[in-house]
Amino acid sequence: MTVIKNRAVRTVLRYAIPFGAIPALVILGATVFDEKRYLIISFGVALAAIVLFMAGIEKKNIGSRRMVLVAVMTALAVIGRFIPLFKPITAICVMAAIYLGAESGFLCGALSVLISNIYFGQGPWTPFQMLGFGMIGLIAGYLCEPLKKSRALLIGYGVLAGIAYSMIMDVWTVLWYNGTFSPDLYLAAIISALPFTALYAVSNAGFLILLKKPIGDKLERIKQKYGV
Amino acid sequence: MAVFELCELSFSYPNSAKKALEKVNITVDQGEFIALAGPTGSGKSTLLRLLKPELMQNGDQSGTILFCGNPIGDLPPRESAARIGYVAQSPEEQIVTDKVWHELAFTLENLGKKQQEIARRVAETAAFFGIAPWYRKHTSQLSGGQKQLLNLAAVMVSEPEALILDEPTAQLDPIEAARFFDTLYKLNRETGVTVIISEHRAEELLPLCDRMILLDHGTVVYDDAPRAIAQRMDKSSPYLPYLTAASRVFIHSGGAGECPLSVREGRKFFKSREIVSGNPHSPSATAPPGKEDCAALEMKDVFFRYHKDGADVLNGLNMTVNEGEIFAVLGANGCGKSTAAAIMTGVLKPYSGKVKLFGKALKEYKNGSLYRENLSCLPQDVESVFLHATVREELRGCEEIVNSLPFDLAPLYDRHPYDLSGGERQLVALCKALKSNPRLLILDEPSKGLDPNAKERLSELLRKLQSSGLTIILISHDIEFAASCADRCALFFDGGIAACESTSDFMCGNRCYTTAASRMTRGILRNVYTVDAAAAMIGGDRS
Amino acid sequence: MREFHEYNPITVAAYYLCATAVTMFTMNPVVIGISLFASVINYILYAKNGIKPHLFSLVLFVIMAAVNPLINHNGMTVLFYLNDRPITAEAAIYGVTAAGMTVAALYWLRLFTKAMTSDKLLYLFGRLSPKISLILSMAIRYTELLRIRWRKISDAQKALGLYDDGNLIDALKGRARVLSILITWALENGIITAESMDARGYGTGRRTSFRLFRFRMRDGLITAICAAATAIAVIGLNGADVVWYPSIKTTLFEPVSIMGYVGFGVLSILPIIINTKEAIRWRYLSCAN
Ligand SMILES: Nc1ncnc2c1ncn2[C@@H]1O[C@H](COP(=O)(O)OP(=O)(O)OP(=O)(O)O)[C@@H](O)[C@H]1O
Ligand SMILES: Nc1ncnc2c1ncn2[C@@H]1O[C@H](COP(=O)(O)OP(=O)(O)OP(=O)(O)O)[C@@H](O)[C@H]1O
Ligand SMILES: [Mg+2]
Ligand SMILES: [Mg+2]
Repeated sequence: MTVIKNRAVRTVLRYAIPFGAIPALVILGATVFDEKRYLIISFGVALAAIVLFMAGIEKKNIGSRRMVLVAVMTALAVIGRFIPLFKPITAICVMAAIYLGAESGFLCGALSVLISNIYFGQGPWTPFQMLGFGMIGLIAGYLCEPLKKSRALLIGYGVLAGIAYSMIMDVWTVLWYNGTFSPDLYLAAIISALPFTALYAVSNAGFLILLKKPIGDKLERIKQKYGV
Repeated sequence: MAVFELCELSFSYPNSAKKALEKVNITVDQGEFIALAGPTGSGKSTLLRLLKPELMQNGDQSGTILFCGNPIGDLPPRESAARIGYVAQSPEEQIVTDKVWHELAFTLENLGKKQQEIARRVAETAAFFGIAPWYRKHTSQLSGGQKQLLNLAAVMVSEPEALILDEPTAQLDPIEAARFFDTLYKLNRETGVTVIISEHRAEELLPLCDRMILLDHGTVVYDDAPRAIAQRMDKSSPYLPYLTAASRVFIHSGGAGECPLSVREGRKFFKSREIVSGNPHSPSATAPPGKEDCAALEMKDVFFRYHKDGADVLNGLNMTVNEGEIFAVLGANGCGKSTAAAIMTGVLKPYSGKVKLFGKALKEYKNGSLYRENLSCLPQDVESVFLHATVREELRGCEEIVNSLPFDLAPLYDRHPYDLSGGERQLVALCKALKSNPRLLILDEPSKGLDPNAKERLSELLRKLQSSGLTIILISHDIEFAASCADRCALFFDGGIAACESTSDFMCGNRCYTTAASRMTRGILRNVYTVDAAAAMIGGDRS
Repeated sequence: MREFHEYNPITVAAYYLCATAVTMFTMNPVVIGISLFASVINYILYAKNGIKPHLFSLVLFVIMAAVNPLINHNGMTVLFYLNDRPITAEAAIYGVTAAGMTVAALYWLRLFTKAMTSDKLLYLFGRLSPKISLILSMAIRYTELLRIRWRKISDAQKALGLYDDGNLIDALKGRARVLSILITWALENGIITAESMDARGYGTGRRTSFRLFRFRMRDGLITAICAAATAIAVIGLNGADVVWYPSIKTTLFEPVSIMGYVGFGVLSILPIIINTKEAIRWRYLSCAN
């Protein structure tokens, strides 16, 4: 957000986006576009939310070491998306979040989606996926103490994150297909996506168990040695 | 005016009793070109880091460091970033961004410069360093030399007054290293930037520099012009390997008159002297220890390429390595040496040609028996071998080998492999490679980043392994190292072997791609390629 | 020759967003027809990807077009009965329109993905946030590095005999080992990168972001044309409506909607117009010399 030089303007914008732009988008969407309005509203809201988060992070002072580590974790997550069927992206975001902080988790999730979609295809789904994985990272960052301590909680978080992500994405599928939300279609979507959701939850849990030690210990050592 | 003034500088790391630097007094004047030499662990990196406030490490420091007359700690961060440039050893990891142009702009971006100014300085720098042709490339596609040049250029955009370089050419081949030094020299001459560089490559560097500072155990041993230092040393000095071949010959021969530095001066020196003895290395007088009749490894008409429609990397490679010999493969960066090694180990498969190991085709070794008791390879990046968090775990199961080595690895046991110095990493990885008790050992660039003493010890170690029956293939661009331990040498060029002879024939037959001693004595002495041999033949003054 | 995709990334991104948005938010058969036609032509001219993506689109189109009449039985004109359920013409036409919309949007998005290479994406983000664009840039670099390094490590492990491909468990264990080494390597060497950043003044104050792409007059011009065409299309199409059920009633061909179609038509072939103009000019210039 530093393109805007004037400090006052920046301050105004900072409040205008959450309290002005997002409600305005919702109202505008509801009145102007009669078809597909929910889709455009949710799209706008997702985009605004990402911009908001990123603006917050832009203002924070992230040290160079943390920054490089986030970039490395993001790259690992991107590479992980190329593994067929089992995707370690959630696990890697969670690791980034609990060892490097909530913002790092958010960035790792959001940016790895953005980069990997250069190969997998960008689309209106990009902001939703970015927000989805970003949130998984962010929340894990807030829960970092319990997640670090308890293995069961970590696995639970992975499974839950997988299910929640899948279900939220299904809302979007319904909106895309139907224009408005319909409970019947949503149920159908959830049922048809069940195998994927299950696979997803299982691979999240699996990768979290698998990666906890190698990534965790290494990040811990780096943090100790170089004071991140 | 003095750029740096170090006064009674001492430094010790937090958890170590030994001082890394002790009472160092150095004054560096504007525009000087200074080489910093010394054995591993002598404190070169520690000293250089202290000159760059951003890289200062925790520890006890006493004494003062002045930069342009003011304490270096008082320098505002932006100024110290802009006015003191720092280039480190690894070409790859110092690069931050994904595009060459972005890398060049990075420093100026950090300093908050305006678009137009960045554009101007980047353009200027790219033109000076000849980067323009690859200005828009991905940084991951550059060669090692290009990467290091980019690192230098990326530091020079902010027009620093002092440039600090910590072993910048350790990963480069001699030709790329020479190019790097030339650029550095030109920079020093044309822009007047002060240069302080720590290096193990005395041969190329010393003739260029104004002053040499020799550190050992954290104290300054010598601080003078290289010629003056050489003049003050004698035959028994432990610091002899830090001088150029010409100076060493001069000192060995008694050291009367003006000391030569470069190869050119060395030739002049030889011409002015009498030659006393005959031919110490008469070619093929001593038969190489390899058994001619048993081939350990045989490659016949091997062709290989990475992509279906790419260029051939190996182009009809023919090579035979005899059992029990040390065979050196020499060649420039990117000519395909490591690729050839991957073919030898069966990791890559040639699209045509045969590879035989101890008389059996590679694919006849079933169920991994190839890698058990037959063949082992130490890769170019030894880090790819380290799996564990401590050296102890790393070396589990190798106790016998560790004990048989002439090195003591015990003090390293509780350290993390990445906390070791280059030479120590090399040793630990070597132990791992020897674990499978191989008959053929392939070493890819084992001597990179080592100081002269460590190289000597490594070459002794290789000799010792050879005498226990091991066949060794040594892949390297370090000619002096190959000359010190190989029985036969091969020149790798254009995907094949261009020349393959016994070391003495090879070194004496080549004109450029050979040791400094051989270049100095070519046409004057016959069949001489080591400093010792050359020195032994020097007599009194001719005139 | 300055092709459409060499214009400023802002222009290119805005163009594709407009084209996609108009396509997605109208269920107007005429617009969708234009959009599908133009996007396919654009894709063939720009992407040159062979037949495979088109086959995929065709299959998707057929499935999506077939699904609606099978699950939606509204509409008066019954074509035939399937399992005692009526299949109606209205539902079928709606299905074809909706499928066309999806496929057209897909083509536009593919074009967008193809055009937005990493450096253009970085440029857009750099304008928004220099810090995040820097992380993005580093992450893109590391993806490439990690890929190369993965190969090197697994080769090294194989040559040391520590990597058995014999059975599945061993192969997986080998992979896990390579991954572990890779992670150590990346994290440890990341510190060197961080030091290099510090040494070069990162974090000493406000950053700027250097950009190779410049926003020139003609980028502004094309963006303006793009915005105007979109505005005309949106205004013009506001009245053009289709009531699908129970029987199709349209107000598709009012004069004002014709204007909308023209606006959208211009928008959707804008890259072709620009490239053709450039090609003609190029030919003219090379003849003149
Ligand atoms: N982070 C550290 N903590 C503790 N001791 C250290 C640390 N870094 C270096 N040392 C010690 O300080 C001494 C000087 O090390 P330094 O790295 O400066 O040597 P050097 O001359 O640069 O060696 P090389 O030629 O291998 O680069 C060595 O004894 C080393 O073991
Ligand atoms: N995985 C790969 N894919 C495509 N090309 C490659 C690959 N690895 C190496 N090359 C190319 O093959 C050539 C030979 O590379 P190789 O690493 O064998 O050279 P080298 O002689 O070992 O160089 P160095 O001295 O730098 O180690 C180079 O031009 C390189 O760009
Ligand atoms: Mg050092
Ligand atoms: Mg190599």
